[in-house]
Amino acid sequence: MKLNYIYEIVLFVVLILLQVLLLTRISLFGIATPVLYVYFLLKLPVGRNLYYVIFSAFLMGLIIDIFLNTPGMNAAAITIVAAFRKNILGLFFEREGYDDFVPGINTAAGPFVRFTIFMVLLHLTLLFFMESFTLFNLKNTLLRIATSSVVTIPLIIALDSLMYRRNPGEQ
Amino acid sequence: MRNLFNFIIRNSHWLLAALLVAFSFYLVFTQNSYQRSVYLSSANQVTGWFYSISNDVGAFFHLRKNNQLLLERSAELEKEILLLKDRIDILTAADSVEVGDLVPDSLPVSQFDFIPAEVVNLSFSGANNFITINKGSEHGVKPDMGVISSGGGIVGVVSVVSKNRAVVIPVINPKFRLSARLKNSENYGSISWDGTNIGKAQLQELPKHEVFHEGDTVLTSFSRIFPRNLVIGFVSSEGRSRDDNFNTFNIQLATNFYTLQDVLVIDDTYYEEQKKLEEMLQQ
Repeated sequence: MKLNYIYEIVLFVVLILLQVLLLTRISLFGIATPVLYVYFLLKLPVGRNLYYVIFSAFLMGLIIDIFLNTPGMNAAAITIVAAFRKNILGLFFEREGYDDFVPGINTAAGPFVRFTIFMVLLHLTLLFFMESFTLFNLKNTLLRIATSSVVTIPLIIALDSLMYRRNPGEQ
Repeated sequence: MRNLFNFIIRNSHWLLAALLVAFSFYLVFTQNSYQRSVYLSSANQVTGWFYSISNDVGAFFHLRKNNQLLLERSAELEKEILLLKDRIDILTAADSVEVGDLVPDSLPVSQFDFIPAEVVNLSFSGANNFITINKGSEHGVKPDMGVISSGGGIVGVVSVVSKNRAVVIPVINPKFRLSARLKNSENYGSISWDGTNIGKAQLQELPKHEVFHEGDTVLTSFSRIFPRNLVIGFVSSEGRSRDDNFNTFNIQLATNFYTLQDVLVIDDTYYEEQKKLEEMLQQ
């Protein structure tokens, strides 16, 4: 259990650094940007305290906002996703699963992929619409949501399978 | 009553989420990029430190290319010096021109100082583009100073300044506005960015009779922030106007934001004086 928390803190820090130092600078065709940090919410155990989930997500969003000079945008989007996480989990995974169950490609491949797609789409929709408050251009916003999801989802699934291969003993 | 309490306790995580989201929205709507807090922006100490490390690594890979650019630039200046020398020779050699005409009575005070700075971070992933540079109030950078690239194209305007860092709002930010003119026709317009292409901006509010010429140079006009006649970009295509009274041209920006590394911050010696004078009139 303790190991889980350490693993989560490392994941928290690594995802933030990856997002602000590397991924935000990628802008494929000028529109598609991978937004990977929602992976943190995917990898928390199913039964984790909701306050913990919501608050850590908010903190993550806020730190990313400070780095990217987008006050509040990432924080609002990821907090909303975190609030609905439990309900979304219920849609894709069996309810009688253990509280310690961590969604992953190794534990339940099919549901995890569907869960990832849903979470990423929700997050990017919220994020890009929030960004477009200052610059309203519906076609461009929808295009950015679609292309960024197409880049982000395979990246998350690839990352998850890589992690699994590296430490097979870890839950 | 007990049911009510149970209900509230069971659902209190929604309350927490709602509070945090409300706080985030408060930040979104109050933190306008012209008056945002230094702590919540990339000008703060910690983020600045992270960015400068990552930039040091990045700069290493750009060394060769930047060297090339510097060489080209120095060659250009060299050529200009030769040209001017030639002209002085011609003028001094002619009998009819007195040399005294060329020597000013007193040394003119230069109006503009340039503070060289390096870009430590830039984001252009959407509607909220900005650039962080590695000079701050310690080096004399103040809000509202203009920034140009080492190649001479305009980059943006300083927005927030901390001790050693400053955040620049670039041309490619929807909030950026600048008055500009066409080199050949002297007609004025306003530069803005529509959020679609990082290499292109729009020159709006041109008079209707302005004819489209591809490749026309777009220069800065009257502005408190930039000196006159700096290159902004080149007219590339006709754009869509918001109404029939004005023309809009798309322009190719002279600054390449993808490879931007070295910039110059413009320190206008008379900025405060001019600002005070103009504000006096408005009151």
